[in-house]
Amino acid sequence: MEIEIKNQDDQELVFTIEGADVSLVNALRRIATVEVPTLAIETVQFTRNDARIFDEALAHRLGLVPIITDLEVVIPQEECDCEDYCSRCSVSFTLKGKGPKTLYSGDLKSSDPQIKPVLDTIPLVKLREGEELELEAIAQLGTGSQHAKWQPTTSCAYKHYPQITIDLDKCEACGLCADQCPRSVYRLDEKENKIEVVDLENCSMCNTCSKDCPNQAITVEGLRDKFIFRIESDGSFPPKEILSLACDLLSLKADTILDFL
Amino acid sequence: MIPIRCLSCGKVVSAYFDEYQKRVQDGEDSKKVLDDLGLKRYCCRRMLIAHVEVW
Repeated sequence: MEIEIKNQDDQELVFTIEGADVSLVNALRRIATVEVPTLAIETVQFTRNDARIFDEALAHRLGLVPIITDLEVVIPQEECDCEDYCSRCSVSFTLKGKGPKTLYSGDLKSSDPQIKPVLDTIPLVKLREGEELELEAIAQLGTGSQHAKWQPTTSCAYKHYPQITIDLDKCEACGLCADQCPRSVYRLDEKENKIEVVDLENCSMCNTCSKDCPNQAITVEGLRDKFIFRIESDGSFPPKEILSLACDLLSLKADTILDFL
Repeated sequence: MIPIRCLSCGKVVSAYFDEYQKRVQDGEDSKKVLDDLGLKRYCCRRMLIAHVEVW
């Protein structure tokens, strides 16, 4: 199995994977979205809320704020001895403010300086003159299968690697495919008078080109054993970490099957 | 208030709303601002374009 990283930054990881099949790649995708645990606010205790937003609505907004997660610091609630939450299995945030003011995710004060919201500029609640707000929010580990707020990924998807074959005997270099392609995969080289594939990996295999070609010179296929995989993180983990955690979880599952046998 | 995340894909779009609104009010082209902010998908872009701040 060969893996080649195409693009990597702190939000996104794009790589090709060759010599794998759909069952493996899809297992990784599913585990990365719904089984890798992250932190999210689960319980909110309001001391005071004069704002026009309801407690429930604000608690829901707080839950959706992505939080930088460190699995070494916090343990899942199921593995903890406590009944509800404690310092081992949760991180506490306080939010306090007096209007006129907009409170942002950056105003959340964490009990652990390393664990804080990914972005500081998320508007949470607007307070008018004289309105006050005070609350404590408890973040706990959870998985995307419990609630989407615990998904570490936003877009996490793969596609078969496209393969475009142009039959040069049939192609008349009319340029129709280059005009019609919604992903700008082709370019008509007017000097050489031929069609070039310039952005193969952007092809979505919509087959517009092969349908529109007057001479049926183009075939578009997806390679069976090669994939382009993209993981976009919400910031709780770097995307590479999500992939490696997903791989760990998958191998753990495989071990469980072996133990069972 | 603007929803925290994109309703379709879950990307945190609200964090960019203040900047988007300010720059568009200052006369910048909203297409350019959205590209700058790194909102590539049309689901996320419509969240900012279509939002009306009522209260």
